[in-house]
Amino acid sequence: MKIIVAIKQVPERDAPVRIDAAGKWIDEADLNWALNESDAYALEEALQLKEKHGGEVVVLSAGPQRVGSTIREALAKGADRAIHVEAADLAQRDALGVAQLLAAAIKPENPDLVLSGLQSDDLGYGQTGVIVAELLNLPHGSLILHVEKTDTGLTVKRELEEGWFQTIELPTPAVLTIQSGGNKLRYATLMGIKRAKTKEMRRVTAAELGSATAPVAVLEHIALPQKQKSTQILSGSPKETAAALVEKLKFEARVL
Amino acid sequence: MNCALGRDAPRRDHVLLVRSPMILDLPTLAEPRHFSLAERLGFAALAATSAVLFWNRFWPILGRILHSRKDADFHLFPLGRRLWDFFWEVLCQARVIRQRPLPGLAHAFVFWGFCAFALVTLNHCAVGLGIGFLSPDGWFARFYFYLAAAFAIACAGGILGLFIRRFLVRPRWLGAHLSWESGFIALLIFALMATYLAAFFVSDANTAARLLWWAHSAALLIFLPIIPHTKHLHLVLSPATVFLSRGGFSHIPPLVGDEDFGLVAGADLTQLASLQAYSCVECGRCTEHCPAANTGKLLNPKEIILGLRGYLNEFGPTSTEPLLGKYNPQEAAFQCTTCGACEFQCPVGIEHLPLIVGLRRGAVNTGALEDDHGAKLFLALERGSNALGLSASDRDKFIQKQDLPLFDGSQEYCLWLGCMGGYDPKGREIVTDFARVMNYLGTSYGVLRKEKCTGDPVRRLGNDLVFQQLAEANLENLAQNKVKKIVSICPHCVRTIQEDWKEFGIPPEVEHHSEFLARHLSQLPRTVNEEKVVYHDPCYLGRYRDVYEEPRAVVSHSVSLVEAPRNRERSFCCGAGGGLAFLGEETGERVSHVRVAELVATGATTVGTACPFCNTMFRDALAARGDGAPQLLDIAQLTARNLPQPNQPNPR
Repeated sequence: MKIIVAIKQVPERDAPVRIDAAGKWIDEADLNWALNESDAYALEEALQLKEKHGGEVVVLSAGPQRVGSTIREALAKGADRAIHVEAADLAQRDALGVAQLLAAAIKPENPDLVLSGLQSDDLGYGQTGVIVAELLNLPHGSLILHVEKTDTGLTVKRELEEGWFQTIELPTPAVLTIQSGGNKLRYATLMGIKRAKTKEMRRVTAAELGSATAPVAVLEHIALPQKQKSTQILSGSPKETAAALVEKLKFEARVL
Repeated sequence: MNCALGRDAPRRDHVLLVRSPMILDLPTLAEPRHFSLAERLGFAALAATSAVLFWNRFWPILGRILHSRKDADFHLFPLGRRLWDFFWEVLCQARVIRQRPLPGLAHAFVFWGFCAFALVTLNHCAVGLGIGFLSPDGWFARFYFYLAAAFAIACAGGILGLFIRRFLVRPRWLGAHLSWESGFIALLIFALMATYLAAFFVSDANTAARLLWWAHSAALLIFLPIIPHTKHLHLVLSPATVFLSRGGFSHIPPLVGDEDFGLVAGADLTQLASLQAYSCVECGRCTEHCPAANTGKLLNPKEIILGLRGYLNEFGPTSTEPLLGKYNPQEAAFQCTTCGACEFQCPVGIEHLPLIVGLRRGAVNTGALEDDHGAKLFLALERGSNALGLSASDRDKFIQKQDLPLFDGSQEYCLWLGCMGGYDPKGREIVTDFARVMNYLGTSYGVLRKEKCTGDPVRRLGNDLVFQQLAEANLENLAQNKVKKIVSICPHCVRTIQEDWKEFGIPPEVEHHSEFLARHLSQLPRTVNEEKVVYHDPCYLGRYRDVYEEPRAVVSHSVSLVEAPRNRERSFCCGAGGGLAFLGEETGERVSHVRVAELVATGATTVGTACPFCNTMFRDALAARGDGAPQLLDIAQLTARNLPQPNQPNPR
């Protein structure tokens, strides 16, 4: 099986978030970067499929030069080779723009399966993988926890709300976006990192992959959420306070 | 002593009176003076056979040791430490005696007896070949034979005592299986001494003297080939093992090159490792003090070493067969708390910790370890800053809330919080109280804005990738912040910063808060309080750092110190070290519960600790005992209690 895993390098979980001067993105100076969490699960799923069925796992990532370290981490965990799409302007692209880059890089590879994380830890659109499927004209499944290869294609387990799951069968080639938590992640090993040094990492620039269309969705403004505490004590009999509470939840807090 | 050659020999008494007027009429060693050619050839043949049998077994073992990989960080010089260790540990038998006095002394007598017998044995064999050189007439020989006789008595007494201990008393540490080979060797040694001593009571004219001589020879020539087949190989190897040891304590060697992942297979065993594997005397002192072995775990440090020996015998030093397999299960290697009691006790210089950590490295660096808790710890430190998997902002909030001063390069000390001090509730209490003490003393200090875990748990678990990342990131952070001196509440942090980071840079000076407090005791209020506090020596402060008096001084400054039954270098681990606080214990009794039971049994009302991990382990164990269990306080908390009033944090 030839599997491509599209991964994204995002700011570290612990990173202090500061809005930049323009108010359109975060200040990237002084940040530490890490592999996007659901992408790590996508990679794990790909590696397990390779261990079971043989084949190749190719890691693909778009972004500036710093993305190289996260790609190497993926190689260290067991991916066979990598493609780095050099794009300095990733933050300015919308999901369509990023998906166009990825699809253009994926197409010549003709993979059996494309996996990606469900959504990114920073923007959290949840769209990029699905748009890639559309651009490549491939069937897709999202929120996937587990993938099994069958004679006719794939059987996948999809997470729904409230503890419900859905089983879908689909043919290959296909695109799947993977939800976190489906597997236990493997830890990076010294042996993996040393072996990664000799693995191929092919670089291709965004320009080579075609010009980007203008973004259809633009980030106008980013702000930190306002935190405010206000406490109201409801008085009266339990029946009265319950009624008052329901009203407040419905019309003031709007959570019901 | 005269000779009994033929008819011309004068009578004994006469000779004594004439030749040695000052020596009393005492019996001396009877040695047959005349062996026929047949006898001499016979003896030579037997001796040669014995030597060949010895060599046939010894040479392959020596070969396996020499064909092992060279130790990359071995330095013969400086010789001073090595010579001292050889003198003190081998010749004086210091550790043998100090850690197990009675059996140790018995063994020392056997050893000294062997040493004293060197010339006797040489002469004995020479006599058998007709070239005896210690003439019994001479004053030297007579003196020497008496000296050797004194040692022989001590040796015989010693070996008898040891025999009784092994076969009648049967201590647990020697194992359930009775070693008949040990019994046979004891018999041989006893026979050697007995035949020697008996020769004082016969005249060399008798056949008795001759028979005794042959009996002695038989014992000798049977003993020699047995040596390399049994643990008695330590006679030959252990002086070398002690002399060539790595030194330090828990000295973990650096990995060399891109293909070195630790002790994965036989080919990774170094010469020192192989030498140590063959030197084990199976005395069981390591097992006796091991917290895992004492609480029903699979791990037995002695079996780890013997397992390596078994592996080398079967697979050899160039094999690719995994070391964690037939002879040493992976489960056992990961039950070690790295407390070091084993390495500390070993009388022949075996260094268990580098071997156990080496085996762990082999499993973790290659991904062979499949453990959920281990993976969780590794992933937390791959991505985050602390071993608990919490967000760094948690630590920031703690610093803000307690108003701890930030380190800006101008202060004298950097107060290192560590994972426990920064994120654990109890650890934070210790930090807060220690900060109060430093404020009271007017010490200039600050805490770093950002810290990463020192890497102690991953270092002891053998994850060199994550450890290197943490060490390098921390060293860079410290250099950027111009940190010169660190004080920490955690002995694990202290050890890792001072020793383990050396591989990746030059760490700043670092000390433990007990050392700091002890230095400032004269400035701290003294109280008279009869409260009994039992002090527990943390492994990483005691055995690892040799710091025993300072925390005691701090405790005694305000309360009445009570010693735990197993204390100082014998302190029984709390169970958290070696990454086990994160891996967890799955079988047997909990180490912490066993230790707490004996601490509580002292009757103390408070348990005093100097390590946040010990503190956390005991908190759990004491809670399990229900109400009425003693309080638990760190030495910083004991000290801060006596400060005049809650101090305002230093507004620097």
